[in-house]
Amino acid sequence: MSILRFTSVLVKEYRHILREPRTLWMVFLSPAFVLIALSMIFTSGNGRINLALWDEDRTPLSRQFAATLSGDDDFSVSYASDYKEIETLLVKRDIDAALIIPPGFADTIQNDDTAPVQVILDGVDTLVAGQATGSLLGHAADFGVTLSRQLSLSTLPLKVHSQSAYLPDAAERESMIPGLIPIVFSLPVMAAALALARERETGSLESLIATPVRGLEYLGGKLIAYVTAALVGLLPVWLTTTLLFHVPFRGNLLLLLLLATDFLLASVGMALFIGNLVRSQQTATVVALFIFFVPGFFLTGMIDPIDTTDLLGAAFSYALPSTHFVSICRAIFLKGATLSEMYRPALALLILSIIWMGLGTLTFKKRMR
Amino acid sequence: MQVIFNRIWGLVKKELLQLSRDKLLLAFVLVAPLLELTLMGGLTGGGVQNLPLAVVDLDRSRASRELITRLDQTDELLIKTYEDSVAQAQEQMQSGQIGVIVVAPPGYGEALTDPQQPAEVQVIADGSNHVVSSAAIGTVENVAAEIVQNLTARYGVASGGPVEMRFAARFNATLDGQPGAITMMLGLIVYQVTLIIAAQSFTRERELGTMEQLRVTPLGRLELIAGKAIPTLLVGLVDCLLMTGVAVAWFDIPVRGSLLLLMLLTVPFILTQIGWGTLISLVSRTQQQAMLFVFALAMLEIACSGFLVPASSLPETMRLLSHISSVQHYMVILRGVMLRGAGIGVLWQSALALSGIALGVATLAWLRLWLGLDTDSLKQRIQIWRHIYRRNRRRRRQVGSGTRRRPRLGAQKPRPAYVDVRVEER
Repeated sequence: MSILRFTSVLVKEYRHILREPRTLWMVFLSPAFVLIALSMIFTSGNGRINLALWDEDRTPLSRQFAATLSGDDDFSVSYASDYKEIETLLVKRDIDAALIIPPGFADTIQNDDTAPVQVILDGVDTLVAGQATGSLLGHAADFGVTLSRQLSLSTLPLKVHSQSAYLPDAAERESMIPGLIPIVFSLPVMAAALALARERETGSLESLIATPVRGLEYLGGKLIAYVTAALVGLLPVWLTTTLLFHVPFRGNLLLLLLLATDFLLASVGMALFIGNLVRSQQTATVVALFIFFVPGFFLTGMIDPIDTTDLLGAAFSYALPSTHFVSICRAIFLKGATLSEMYRPALALLILSIIWMGLGTLTFKKRMR
Repeated sequence: MQVIFNRIWGLVKKELLQLSRDKLLLAFVLVAPLLELTLMGGLTGGGVQNLPLAVVDLDRSRASRELITRLDQTDELLIKTYEDSVAQAQEQMQSGQIGVIVVAPPGYGEALTDPQQPAEVQVIADGSNHVVSSAAIGTVENVAAEIVQNLTARYGVASGGPVEMRFAARFNATLDGQPGAITMMLGLIVYQVTLIIAAQSFTRERELGTMEQLRVTPLGRLELIAGKAIPTLLVGLVDCLLMTGVAVAWFDIPVRGSLLLLMLLTVPFILTQIGWGTLISLVSRTQQQAMLFVFALAMLEIACSGFLVPASSLPETMRLLSHISSVQHYMVILRGVMLRGAGIGVLWQSALALSGIALGVATLAWLRLWLGLDTDSLKQRIQIWRHIYRRNRRRRRQVGSGTRRRPRLGAQKPRPAYVDVRVEER
């Protein structure tokens, strides 16, 4: 390992990144840009649920119940008059749910019985279905309270005091943004995989073979160049999160930098491993996207938490460096966690970085194929 | 016509040959989508499941134990530890080992049976993930409602309120997240495969220097595009068909509508990606740049597609953008045909929008192609236009200084001196 040769590879890689404005933009600024695009979709409020109402009862009481629904901002209510129409509306996605008040609704309530109301949900989008269920249940309960002051129980026998730690309930956007940071750093990481594949594809690796540069120096130069480039890109990302979206930053910035370096070493190591296996950049891109793109959303615990009881799934999740960095970002930004509190993901990242960098080095052959 | 077909066919053959030569690429284009769908489809879509829960039971009564058992029986929660104090549990939450804390305060059991005073349960959820905290709080509230219902039944009071909601979900009776997640993944995988192949088609040729060889062949620009697009289209359709097969055979996801319609509407979706890909490959100098463009574009499309957040909940600007997102329209079609059994009579709007987007993107790509095949064609064209404009302005000034009338361009060239020679006769 010679420092001189290592630095010369490093300088060459930097020139590759710096000489072209497009690459420069993509490596340094695109993570922040993509983060803004992804963060824009989270708002504090939910959208309106399109609800079709079919009142078979047609009594003052059923109309009163219907009025509480149409008066609510959660719903935009339309009217229907038979099952077939509801079915058509559901297929056309004009409504998310339909509510049917059966005949005898008012009579049943006046007899102090519980009147059933039928709700038909569109089960395809479970997010919307869940939203509708919650809202409608709330309405049913409210209606009960306003209707029956005479109900035998003066107070509910059991109260749930819920509280969400670290952030108030409404702050959906603030809670989701730190978890998005790892996926936007897939951009510089994938660039590293292609940088390696390009040398092989365009044949410049063959010229390198003729130079005294050793494999380790060559790989180290690539690794450090892309890791540092991505770290510089962390600054705009951090500024976007804290200044533009007002996400609280309660932790230590140096700790974030340290752990981000750890994460990037692991990811870029993985990228170099991919770059070694493939012959063309096209293959490198396809492979890298298969590993970073769809799993990046579904497996890293970014949205749904990882189910640790499913061993196979958890194994795949924990092999991805992003999984650990998702929990680290959340902990540092929102919980203000210290290193000792995050030792598990930090240690996991360290192990992963050793494994992936090791695999990257072992598979690299400074030979012609 | 025959000649044109032959020329295009030649290019198609070359592209397919190149694809089949790179075994790893072939595997990743044809086999990896199936593997990924099988693997990830099995793992995801369950929503919040087995979230680690810490219980702080300060009451230690029969009632509190019943509460804990009921919490553990839910799909969403799984008891990880029992702690003696809230502070200890909060420490564990800080280090991310548990997602929610439930506290049964002292006197819980007595208060529950005492009609005069309400019992209380405290829930602290990890707010650093909104999805987790809202799901956890909802689950505990449901459990509390169950307990209340049992209690009131025991005391002979009419259960719950006067209105009872009976829910039934159409198309997906158990409200399972899997069909939604798998259709989404299917669409995204077709999307990524076709976009990458298209985006790197020209950049690759340019970077390897074979672009120059292509340009000296008799292939016209449109023929070149067609020859590059057909293999991508084939790959995309084959992928889509194979993955639909996996979804049906492995995950029991129904195709309630017409498969033919689905494939027919997949064509404009893939064509849109080919259009975007061609545009990207024309403006990027290296494949690295092309890949980065692809990733940034894909993130934007994902953001609008209604995958992370339902399309109806998007803020105004993103909702406007989502109308020109091909992924969003394709998702409507995909889920419509597969899960809702929708026909063209229902989906015509999305189909029309998708075709419109395909046409628009194709036009953009064609315009860009008309400027030239080089990365800098646009820049060069602009320089040329600017030069012509400036030259004309300069001329206008020279000519226009004497006369008041604005001269027509080119018509008022300053006359060469020899025309101006006047011969005076004496």
